[in-house]
Amino acid sequence: MTTQPPKVLVTKIGLDGHDRGSRVVASHLRDAGMEVVYTPPWQDIPAVVKLALEEDVDVIGISSLATDHLIVPKLMRALGAAGLRDIAVIVGGIVPDADEAMLLEAGVARVFHPGSALEEIAAEIGRLTRARREANV
Amino acid sequence: MNKPLDAGNLSERGTGFDRWRREYAASARDGKSVRNRSGIEVRPLYTAQDWSGDHEAELGYPGQPPYTRGIYASMHRGRTWTQRQLIGLGTPLDYNARLRDLLARGTTAVSLIPCNSVFRGYDMDEVHAELLGTCGVVANTAEHMDQCLEGVDLARTSCAMNDPSPFTLLAFLLATAKKRGVDWRAVSGTSNQSDYLSHFIANHMFFRIALPGARRILTDHIEFCNRHVPNWNPMSVVGQHMQQAGATPAEAMAFTLSSAIQYAEDCRARGMQPDAFLPRFTFFFDISVSLFEEIAKFRAGRRVWARITRERFGARDPRSWRFKFHGQTSGVDLTRQQPLNNIARVTVQAMAGIFGGLQSLHTDAYDEVLSCPTEFGARIAVSTQNILREEAHLTDVIDPLGGSYYLESLTDEMERKILGIMAQVEAAGGMYAAAEQGLVQKMIGASARGFQWKIESGEQTVVGVNAYQIDEGKSERQALPTPDPAKMQAHIAAFKAYKEARSKSAVQMAQDGLAAAANDPKENIFARVVEAAEAGCTHGEICATLRRELGFGQPLVVI
Amino acid sequence: MNAGPAANALAAILAGERRALARAMSAVENETDAGKALLHQVQPHLGRARVLGITGPPGAGKSTLVNALIGEWLARGARIGVVAVDPSSPFSGGAILGDRIRMGEHQAHERVFIRSLASRGHGGGLSRTTARVIDLFDAAGYDHIIVETVGAGQSEVAVAEVADTRIVVCPPGLGDEVQALKAGILEIADILVVNKADLPLADRTERELLGMLSLHHYDVWTPQVLRTVATSGGGVPELADLIERHAAACVSQRLSHGGRVRRLIAASAADWVKRRIESLDSAEFEQLCALVRSGELDYASADLRAVELALHDGNKA
Repeated sequence: MTTQPPKVLVTKIGLDGHDRGSRVVASHLRDAGMEVVYTPPWQDIPAVVKLALEEDVDVIGISSLATDHLIVPKLMRALGAAGLRDIAVIVGGIVPDADEAMLLEAGVARVFHPGSALEEIAAEIGRLTRARREANV
Repeated sequence: MNKPLDAGNLSERGTGFDRWRREYAASARDGKSVRNRSGIEVRPLYTAQDWSGDHEAELGYPGQPPYTRGIYASMHRGRTWTQRQLIGLGTPLDYNARLRDLLARGTTAVSLIPCNSVFRGYDMDEVHAELLGTCGVVANTAEHMDQCLEGVDLARTSCAMNDPSPFTLLAFLLATAKKRGVDWRAVSGTSNQSDYLSHFIANHMFFRIALPGARRILTDHIEFCNRHVPNWNPMSVVGQHMQQAGATPAEAMAFTLSSAIQYAEDCRARGMQPDAFLPRFTFFFDISVSLFEEIAKFRAGRRVWARITRERFGARDPRSWRFKFHGQTSGVDLTRQQPLNNIARVTVQAMAGIFGGLQSLHTDAYDEVLSCPTEFGARIAVSTQNILREEAHLTDVIDPLGGSYYLESLTDEMERKILGIMAQVEAAGGMYAAAEQGLVQKMIGASARGFQWKIESGEQTVVGVNAYQIDEGKSERQALPTPDPAKMQAHIAAFKAYKEARSKSAVQMAQDGLAAAANDPKENIFARVVEAAEAGCTHGEICATLRRELGFGQPLVVI
Repeated sequence: MNAGPAANALAAILAGERRALARAMSAVENETDAGKALLHQVQPHLGRARVLGITGPPGAGKSTLVNALIGEWLARGARIGVVAVDPSSPFSGGAILGDRIRMGEHQAHERVFIRSLASRGHGGGLSRTTARVIDLFDAAGYDHIIVETVGAGQSEVAVAEVADTRIVVCPPGLGDEVQALKAGILEIADILVVNKADLPLADRTERELLGMLSLHHYDVWTPQVLRTVATSGGGVPELADLIERHAAACVSQRLSHGGRVRRLIAASAADWVKRRIESLDSAEFEQLCALVRSGELDYASADLRAVELALHDGNKA
């Protein structure tokens, strides 16, 4: 059996276009041995759900600036409707503290604020992947 | 009285310098070399030995080639930089209210940022409603533009607009001008960030028409404005996006100049004369907190552009040689932790831009990192400029750091670095080809990762983030200002009603004309965009037609 | 081994369940026991799909052409699977899978299914399991399966092994890449596409390719040269038709699939033998190597002996 690295989707939904953060994270995850499906910004929710299904990803990482995080709950609902509740979702970027609770309540596994260490993001993805694999066996 | 440090006193100078070097070595903490963001080594001391350039040829005087010291004779002392604070939010009525307030307080120029949905090429009824109007005004028709600019004399007010390809906002503005009986020749302003390559490479905010189509639309746009809106600057070449994406200051300047060359070549290939379009090229840059490096970057850029316009393009009009630029303090340097520190950062960045000789300046609000700034933060940003100008008197002297051993030496080194990178782009076939191949994206990505590593390793301090942290707790920050949902719903409803009420045949005819133009290289696409705006087409409809005819595109992913 | 779960997975895939297909692809890619069992179950259900391999140098406009072709097939009512392979980092083993995004708006179409694979150290730009993933698409009833790789050089050969119809996309012009292309492609290209045919050098490139083809003799199918302008869709319906004609020319679908199976068995068997020999840890093998080093045994003889050792070693496992 070959090694089975975590497969992670790094994407941006909503209307913001800045992706320096998501590129740096994607690059780090690749250097940490993960397989990263990377998309440019402006992906719509149905496209993200379809991608997550086809690629059978372990974790979805949403990079969010401006107010894009406001539609993450819609993404969570769409993933649920598609039977993809086992895929963990993390959000990184600019999220006001007041909205963080709202995201966690919607099912987001963790919110990473600016200044978060790349190592910590990778470690969290590793943890979430292991949990998913164990649950799916 | 001190003897001057010239060659005549060599033996004495030699003694003094050697002594300094010994004492420095003994007292310095370590011998590690220090490099700035562009990778240039920064020494502890600069003397006349470090820069013995030809004052006349390399510095000259303000307003004269090579413009190192400034593009105008009087610079800020004659006329201060324009305080062009970007604004955009909510509905056209919200925008107009904020604009009138600013105008009443003495602002003389208009700037307009549309909602991100507009950048994406969609109308308000095509996106998630909760995302509308949070970072820009939701304007989708000529009528909306008319509302935005109610009470503004279009013949006398310069309007800068962040106007994504295919430049529908200018089309709406021209439609409004015509309706008000204002001659298009009197309309002035800038198509901000009309640089599609910078969006393809780094910002991704309006590249969704395939590259060849975007290229043609831009050239059509420049040609149209050249002929019909002569006081408009259709070309705003952007360095900000690439620097914010991680390009070093030298890379950002090099890529920007290379882009400008590409656009100028495209115009020339279209048959336009350099002196006809170069005077209307403007530039837009990020200003980081690396103070001296930024000043040197701008001075070097001025010098290089003056040479390129004359030697490569044969421009003879001095207006073609002048490197006009707008600077914005860099949001990337700002932190979410201890946000009030950002006021200090913005002050340093603004100083770099002022000493660098910019023509207009936008200072970020300290809470910019939290999304759109509050009025409180925006006011401090404007005050910062006022303080620098009127309390610190930074406008009293033109290019005050000119002649500094360090700054002139650094300007030369930045120029060398910039030219080296430009040569790489040239070798790849020019900026369009380099972007298509992903070469530029690769270089920027490497620089971004390099800088990130410096922060993660602690080599580069970021106060409040990797050093000097405090426990801030969670509750202090204000909620983000978002548009009133009821007002936005009303705006959407009115928009739908508008679409029902307008002449469908006029709209269809205009759309057909636009589609035909897209498929006919002899036609000017932007002229048809203006016609479509006048016929009542919406922004989303115009973009959809062009995307369909010219192809849909994605930015190139290079990690 | 319990065939139950594999049979269930197979039924779901045959019924068109997308999630089941995706999960099966993961199992196959990671070479799990369940994955292997499923592949065995799937074998009788193969041979209907046509596999298209598309290679070409950067700048040829490959992605735009693939996009246009997908659009054409969608208009004809087909279901399309895409396998996009990106290289794994030789240092970390990780990968950026950014190729699928080039499919643009077709990604969202319900009759399009895109799967990204990392090469995982496999030479030639494809992964060891690419052919197996293609089989799953075949079993799931996809009509056309496109194999795309960003890699250059060896990738032409690797793609040629897994594909029924091999397309090489050439940019117009006489640059080094086109020259290098000509050197090896004629052995493996069924269709040569001169894209960006609206550019001035396209005529010349087409003539050159036709000239090179005329020097060779072909049995069942003579490689065809076609001009396209992918950005406008020019020549794309003709390309789709030509692909159909190529499929028909390979006598029957079964034979086409058989040819591919033959090549795949050869490739995967060779790969198996290579891995076995490289991991041989016996005194006999050491002695064999010593004999080759001293010149007492030539390579041809050593090869045969090594294969015997590998087989014998394999039987022990």
